[in-house]
Amino acid sequence: MPQSLFEKVWNAHVVEALPGDNALVFVDRVVAHEITTPQGALEIERRYDDRLFDPKRIVAINDHVSPAKDTETAIQAKVLRDWAKRHGIVLYDMGQNGICHVVAPERGYVEPGMTLACGDSHTCTLGAFGAFALGVGSTAQGGAMLAGCLVLQRPKVMRVNVTGRLGGGATAKDLALHVIATLGFKGGTGYVLEYAGEAIAALSMDERMTLCNMAIEAGATTGMCPPDETTFSYLRGREQQPTGDAFERKVDAWRALVADRDATYDAEIAIDVSALRPLVSWGTNPGESVPIDGTVPNDASEGSLAYMGLRPGVALRSLEIDQAFIGSCTNSRLSDLRAAADVLRGRTVSVPTIVTPGSQAVKRAAEREGLHDVFQDAGALWTHSSCGPCLGMSMGVLAPGARCVSSTNRNFPGRMGAGGRVHLASPAVVAASAVLGRLGSPDELDAAAAPAVTA
Amino acid sequence: MIVEGAVLPIDRANVDTDQIIPAHYLTGIETTGLGKHLFIGMTGGAELLAAHPHASIVVSRENFGCGSSREHAAWSLADRGFRAVVAPSFARIFFENAYNNGIAPVIVPAEEIDALLRSATLRIDLEREELVRDDGASVAFTLDPLRKQFLLSGGYMAFLASKIDAVRAWEAAR
Ligand code: SF4
Repeated sequence: MPQSLFEKVWNAHVVEALPGDNALVFVDRVVAHEITTPQGALEIERRYDDRLFDPKRIVAINDHVSPAKDTETAIQAKVLRDWAKRHGIVLYDMGQNGICHVVAPERGYVEPGMTLACGDSHTCTLGAFGAFALGVGSTAQGGAMLAGCLVLQRPKVMRVNVTGRLGGGATAKDLALHVIATLGFKGGTGYVLEYAGEAIAALSMDERMTLCNMAIEAGATTGMCPPDETTFSYLRGREQQPTGDAFERKVDAWRALVADRDATYDAEIAIDVSALRPLVSWGTNPGESVPIDGTVPNDASEGSLAYMGLRPGVALRSLEIDQAFIGSCTNSRLSDLRAAADVLRGRTVSVPTIVTPGSQAVKRAAEREGLHDVFQDAGALWTHSSCGPCLGMSMGVLAPGARCVSSTNRNFPGRMGAGGRVHLASPAVVAASAVLGRLGSPDELDAAAAPAVTA
Repeated sequence: MIVEGAVLPIDRANVDTDQIIPAHYLTGIETTGLGKHLFIGMTGGAELLAAHPHASIVVSRENFGCGSSREHAAWSLADRGFRAVVAPSFARIFFENAYNNGIAPVIVPAEEIDALLRSATLRIDLEREELVRDDGASVAFTLDPLRKQFLLSGGYMAFLASKIDAVRAWEAAR
């Protein structure tokens, strides 16, 4: 029987079929962070003799609030640190850490065909490698640490065939927002989004991670991209990957991880990106997005309008902003920082702007290229890596009513601070908006900078 | 097992987990004591809870529990004594978390929700998979046959612990 990419990975990991379309699914890798891991780890310590299925399959990362901001978050980090040490689990901590969805791939912990679970909804990011990577609750993550598997309802599979070439300032972020706007905020619920097509093949790994990162924002279980030469060359030489022949043998096995030609899907959609232009969200979920030169739609929901302080017909470009943020597991990798720096080079931001690299490794690489100078010369705050302002938990919290343009993935009410208003966009659009002091795109900057013609 | 009690009517769709409990309150390491933060992130949430102090069943619209995977959403509901959430659809991770914490995620057709929001109380029979409104009308629903056992007899972790030997054998033969 011809199989989709998802089916190949799923079938290779089913330990046992369970009642009701459920299965016991083996988990190759658990990624553990300090906010959602301690609860499951403590349960295992108290009730199951502190036994773990296989500590070598776990990688721990202090990421959400690192360094700690108060006693409580210091305790979270310490619990993760002590637990990792006790079990011989590799831990990335202050100095070498960053957002788990950035650190795990850059160190080579994620590979094609793998199953991976983490107590974080944006674990879907790692589907970019052709892995089945999904966010779970703390109890489910604990179960995976205790028994090496998850109880999962078999998801349906939707093929998302993407044709054309990105251009006209559109990025993988815009594609991600477009997919959600097309499917609807919950249109992917119950599905794995299996991406395919020439436009996906042309994406870098950074871009594929940005795309898969937002699969959860359409409600999907996860996203997956077919592994190819781009994937293999990204992984070649990574810290956790073998070298030489051993690596090439893995590559040979990974080459089989493509959808069979006649594979059938529960649903299929087609997207042509040729005409795609930069998008920005206007509402309170990522599906409520329009082109940056568009207006708030006439059929906008009242709740979203009230929260965002908007009326139908308002031009997005007319909206003044109070803050800008470039960072998060969606858009904080080196290529994202380069895109933002290209816009900010030689310009000055006109609103408080925070730039937070996704990992300390990204930070070092950016600084070797001098990007930190570009940001700081432009007047932006260049920080250490962390989740930071993304979830309104530590630094950069918005005041009620404050409007922020952000390269993150969630514009929910209160996400970046109670009453704060978030507009999602690509790093380039965030950077341009930071300069303009209102929502806007990079192509407006040259026009704005041109000397006024006087009579 | 019967869940019976007052309804907390949340007449909106897409109640995300940031609204159920904002990230600001995720700084603990325990699963208890989170009820005091429940629905603080939802506009009018605190007032709604105050108006229904004894509610133990949430009724809401589509896509309940979307967004962040934080199990704190289920823990804060359980801590306030909630035993069921009735909605036309749930986000996957919340759906799993609810089952793992003794909260029944009850899926009913969208057209039933208006009447359920008006029902001051509900009586939910988890074994027979039927709920009854305060006017006597009943609605059938289906629970996940496996996870239903986690509700009735407790223990996702216990279930997985019972599988360890089988998983090791599978891994060895892989
Ligand atoms: S950057 Fe934001 S979305 Fe990503 S893991 Fe951190 S808090 Fe979650």
